[in-house]
Amino acid sequence: MSRARRVAERQRPLWMLAPGGLLLVLVVGFPLVVAGQISLLDLDQYTFRQWLDAPFVGLDNYVEAVRDSSLPHAVWVSTTYAVVVTLITLPVGVAAALAAHDRFTGRGLVRSVLLIPYVLPAFVVGTVWRIILQPDGVADNALGRAGLDAGLWLNGPRSFWALVIVQAWTAWPLLYLLALAGLQTVDPEVHEAAALDGAGWWVKLRRLIFPYLRGPIALGLVITFLHSVNNFTLPFVLFGVPSPRDVEVLPVLTYVESFQNFRFGLSAAMAVFSLGVVAVPLLAYLRAVRLT
Amino acid sequence: MRHTRLLPRPLQLAVLAVLLLLVLGPVSYMLFASVSSDLAVASGAYLPTSVDLGAYRRIWSTVDLGTGLLNSVLVAGVVATASAFVSVGSAYVLVRFAFRGRVAILRALLALQSVPGTLLLLPVFVLFASASTAIGVQVIGTRWALALTYLTFALPFSTWVMVTYLRGLPPELDEAARIDGASSWRILTRIIVPLSWPGLIVSGIFAFLLGWNDVLFASVMTDPDTRTAAVALQVFGATQEGGAIPVYGQMMAAALVCAAPVVVLYLVFQRYLVGGLTAGGVK
Repeated sequence: MSRARRVAERQRPLWMLAPGGLLLVLVVGFPLVVAGQISLLDLDQYTFRQWLDAPFVGLDNYVEAVRDSSLPHAVWVSTTYAVVVTLITLPVGVAAALAAHDRFTGRGLVRSVLLIPYVLPAFVVGTVWRIILQPDGVADNALGRAGLDAGLWLNGPRSFWALVIVQAWTAWPLLYLLALAGLQTVDPEVHEAAALDGAGWWVKLRRLIFPYLRGPIALGLVITFLHSVNNFTLPFVLFGVPSPRDVEVLPVLTYVESFQNFRFGLSAAMAVFSLGVVAVPLLAYLRAVRLT
Repeated sequence: MRHTRLLPRPLQLAVLAVLLLLVLGPVSYMLFASVSSDLAVASGAYLPTSVDLGAYRRIWSTVDLGTGLLNSVLVAGVVATASAFVSVGSAYVLVRFAFRGRVAILRALLALQSVPGTLLLLPVFVLFASASTAIGVQVIGTRWALALTYLTFALPFSTWVMVTYLRGLPPELDEAARIDGASSWRILTRIIVPLSWPGLIVSGIFAFLLGWNDVLFASVMTDPDTRTAAVALQVFGATQEGGAIPVYGQMMAAALVCAAPVVVLYLVFQRYLVGGLTAGGVK
């Protein structure tokens, strides 16, 4: 062990963790524990100002959430929508990265423009698309001109696809960014070898380039899924509440149950269930990210 | 990398053309609709027939956007400053020193960014409501309470961004200072902080945007006086339902005004921010 190392070992300033650590325990750790406790209480608009006095009901809220609420439906809507969005963003993001990688005039500007959907706030995206997709709005108008059937997007069965389209529109640049970062790691010799080899562009991509993108793409897919499942703002602004049943996603259902119906206990149980929905991709995410 | 292309030129151009159309279509419509007549927007016209900038004047009274923007700047600004400076100390220790529980803390920082917002909003709301009853002071609806709730997401995220940034700083600098006998506090304030200002800016900007973009927490934790711009716009949009023709022009103009600072921030700090976008993975 070097001398520097030993000095460092002796003087670990662990106290520097204290301000951030204490604040985190206060604003995150403590509320999370309280959320668990609330899920075991019959907490409603009459009792929430003195939550410690609310009657303890054990697992009743969880049973009610599974049996007599829209929770199973919301879990289904949330996961299918998030999976479809993730599947759409994959080819779009990768194609964008491939196209934006090779040099051309104005590449810097194009790369910036491609980021716009991702950096726009979700409440802005929701407001704009709500107007675009309104009945007889500009989207229906364009579809009608193309000879396609115009119809209702913000209500009824098509609302599911409206949510998918808008979330995919705003989410794909993350895949693009990660794939572009992956392309930067491709060994220059790989390009030269392929050029000498004379292989076609698709064969070259598949055999030589895509292996470099596997890691970043996997990461991008998991993050896109997590973002989509947890996105409250977009469905909330796009459809308003009460939302059409086809787009009643978990965050919106949980929100309505607590802040409109004032069933805080039931809502907390639902929020715990939504933690279950993100648990598997979250574990995959934690494994994929370099921690040290 | 000379003369090697990933895609044939025509295909590359076609992909870029389609993508630019998909991105710029809705974005340009935002601009066009904000200067169109509401009737034209309602009938589905893409281009304005005449240019009317009146919406940009009216939103300041109808949406009360001025108050909203001020609240957003105040709350998000406090959150950004606080989380950037609190996170740098924690990140320094996490990057430079080995100790028991270090990996667990790093994992927790990442995991916390994926916790559903409702799971945190609910207990925070109930705790604040109970605190108000106990001490007899209004807590919900104040700006500082909102800023405190934003720390639930901003703090883990800022710390993670600083961790990824400090990893890139060569350890020789602070090790040399340590051998010279400098205290940890001195090393942090005289060496780490001055060297890591791009990281501080990035983590500050992201924390700012978390506050600026939020609707979930702000819709519950604010009243009409403390409403952020995001909630002001959402409430304005929701009240347009069921009347005559909604004032589309004003909604689009207000959306543009709320989006402009964010897009400008990104474009100005793009070089630093793109790394953060992919590092932490939270918007």
